[in-house]
Amino acid sequence: MSAATTNHRGRALLAAAAVGAAGMAATYFLDGAARFWANWLLWFVILACLALGTLFLVALQHITGSLWSVPMRRVPERIAALTPWLVPVAAVALFSVPAVFSWTQPGADAVTPLVLKSAWLNYPFFILRLAACLALWMLSYHLLVRRSLRQDESKDPRVTVSLRRFAPAFMIILALTITVFAFDWVSSLEAAWYSDMFGVYLFAGAVTTAIAATTLGVIYQRRRGRLPGVTEDHLYNLGGLMFGFTIFWSYIAFSQYMLQWYANLPEEVFWFQQRTSGKMEGVFVLLMAGHFFVPFLGLMMRSDKKDWRRLRWISIWVLFMEFVDVFWLISPIAGKGLNLGWPEAAFALFFLSAGLLVVSRAMSRGPDMPVGDPFLEDGLKFHLR
Amino acid sequence: MRKPAYGVLALFPSADALLKAIPKVKARGYAQLEAYTPYPVHGLDAALGLPESKLGVLVFLMAAFGAVGVFAFEWWANAVNYPLLTGGKNAFTWPAWIPPTLEGSIFLGTFTAALAMLFIFNGLPFFGHPLLQTKTIDEITRDRFALLIVPSGAAFDEADAAAALRAAGGAAVETLPAPSHETPDAAWWTRTALAIAAACAVAGGATAFAIRVFPTVKPMVNMEVQPRLDAQEPDSFFANGRGMRLPPAGTVPRGGTPILAASLDAAGRELIDPLPVTEFVLERGRRQFDRHCAVCHDRLGTGRASLSSVYTAKPADLQSSTMRKIADGSLYWVISQGYNTMPAYAADVSPDDRWAIVRYIRALQRSQDAPERDLK
Ligand code: HEC
Repeated sequence: MSAATTNHRGRALLAAAAVGAAGMAATYFLDGAARFWANWLLWFVILACLALGTLFLVALQHITGSLWSVPMRRVPERIAALTPWLVPVAAVALFSVPAVFSWTQPGADAVTPLVLKSAWLNYPFFILRLAACLALWMLSYHLLVRRSLRQDESKDPRVTVSLRRFAPAFMIILALTITVFAFDWVSSLEAAWYSDMFGVYLFAGAVTTAIAATTLGVIYQRRRGRLPGVTEDHLYNLGGLMFGFTIFWSYIAFSQYMLQWYANLPEEVFWFQQRTSGKMEGVFVLLMAGHFFVPFLGLMMRSDKKDWRRLRWISIWVLFMEFVDVFWLISPIAGKGLNLGWPEAAFALFFLSAGLLVVSRAMSRGPDMPVGDPFLEDGLKFHLR
Repeated sequence: MRKPAYGVLALFPSADALLKAIPKVKARGYAQLEAYTPYPVHGLDAALGLPESKLGVLVFLMAAFGAVGVFAFEWWANAVNYPLLTGGKNAFTWPAWIPPTLEGSIFLGTFTAALAMLFIFNGLPFFGHPLLQTKTIDEITRDRFALLIVPSGAAFDEADAAAALRAAGGAAVETLPAPSHETPDAAWWTRTALAIAAACAVAGGATAFAIRVFPTVKPMVNMEVQPRLDAQEPDSFFANGRGMRLPPAGTVPRGGTPILAASLDAAGRELIDPLPVTEFVLERGRRQFDRHCAVCHDRLGTGRASLSSVYTAKPADLQSSTMRKIADGSLYWVISQGYNTMPAYAADVSPDDRWAIVRYIRALQRSQDAPERDLK
């Protein structure tokens, strides 16, 4: 691709982001702070899920020593370039805490569960946890991705060894931080609510999303001839992972729902009632059908997972479903009913184009495959059957 | 006559060597090949020219059948046939049916996968497979990769096949004889049937023994063991040593109505139906009647219910002329006290409900013997 088109596209993305930013500012002043913060948090969560999910995919490859994913590893590594950008997004998001989080609202000290949770949900500790999470994510990004990028030149196989050694540690970091993140930034919005498995829920969505984004990136790069040697058989494995994590997400989502539906305890079930009744009921049904049945049936056959066209539209659909999922989680805090209108479009425009800008800028730098990885050769030879 | 050989077998040291040998053997005109490897080898299906397996389609169909079948059954059982309301939820409690639905699809899916793989696609049962009698079977299941040329056509030259395999790098070439017997004989079937029967008998006997002899272990007794007196339990507190007390003479329990009448006829004279004439009372009576009485007396009160064939007593025909003439109070008395083999319902049905049943029996009688003005 010529530099001119890249610049052209970059400028278009910048313009779109600017329009989105204007819409966001207008939201704050015309539609109130609650709606602004709901959208900001929504995109904060989606970006964090994408960054952490792609880091997870990278670490997963190092842990399992899988060969098929080596030639495509650069794509999740590039998407993980969103990680440093989480810092400014999170910094702004901190201002939402006094505005919309239920445990900061007047009268919170009269609600028993909130009093019980106050040892965890208080400003200093909350900010400390956010800082710790961001620091650990930046460190992981540095250790997992930056070193792999430097290996392109050094061609030092010892880097691969140390990446493989760090990957398991990252898994523990991820398990802890994504749980803390999910509890703090999503479930503590309704701090009276309890769900132990909420961290796993967010994790399952994050990985599904990361696989979809990676698949889209791989298809995009491959069609431009930038991943020579990556065949349908490689894509097949991405499709298989997407299929598997679709089921995993559904399993977790259903388990969380069914337990609370069965027990029917007031301190738990109110949360689901807000999200399954009234206008949110439509979103709930869409989520059930769209997040499970579409990718499940769409990726079932072996030939489905090799068909890049099909993979492309299912990936786009899965990304859309992640948006629906997080929207379903967060939007009820901004008031009753369904909040979907121009403010949501403006936020989507801004964050999508800014995110694409970050990722495409990262992708245009350096080799498209991990050329220093000693397993690249073997990875390219991978075939099914 | 000598039976035709099952095929000619050769061993290869690695999966790679096997994959390289296949096209060479094929090039010599042997198209029917079979491979035996200790683990699944990438690329083998393609090299042998095997089509994609149909197993997946079969598994999908059966799994879908299992899911839909179980869900439909749960729906029918819990929402249609016997609507079950628990925990204030409605009868269509779909979230509770999802786990069994999942189990149903997994159950049928996995069994289909395993059984269809063995019996439809792998051609089992295949008794006495010649491969099992070779000297090399140990190695094939460990770390050697075998290729078999299957004879096709009449002009099969074992020597030439062996040469082809050797040329492709195969070692330990041997000719597999035709299977000794491909189908089991009657004696085998008898033995197998006897063995299965014996296994069932042992398992059944052991289970019965275990249940009889060992006390059943109760996992949780919190609900059962409580500091209270159960019905009929002895107690040292009262002089007569009984836990249960009789109400003092001449008292009536709260909410209860005394049965004033001493006999059926007296009840007919003395007891008066206290309920108002409303649709609610009739509907209440219908539900109570259908729940308690219809099993024996039939829903129309004819006394010929589905239970009749196994129930030796003869429930009264509530549509008979005697029953039409009997007083309301007498009907109430029968329900409360029972009548010969007819059980008493005082313990199960509240007084108001008993009157509601009487009301409903009257409606039933009228429905079967309507005066002409009712039909206009
Ligand atoms: C277990 C079966 C059974 C059930 C349930 C049952 N009955 Fe009966 N019922 C009988 C039998 C048997 C007789 C005949 C008794 C006899 O004549 O010796 C009878 C007789 C009667 C009679 C006639 C008594 C008479 O004067 O001859 C009435 C009235 C009656 N039942 C009403 C009811 C009502 C109302 C209910 C529901 C609350 C009911 N029965 C439930 C078995 C049953």
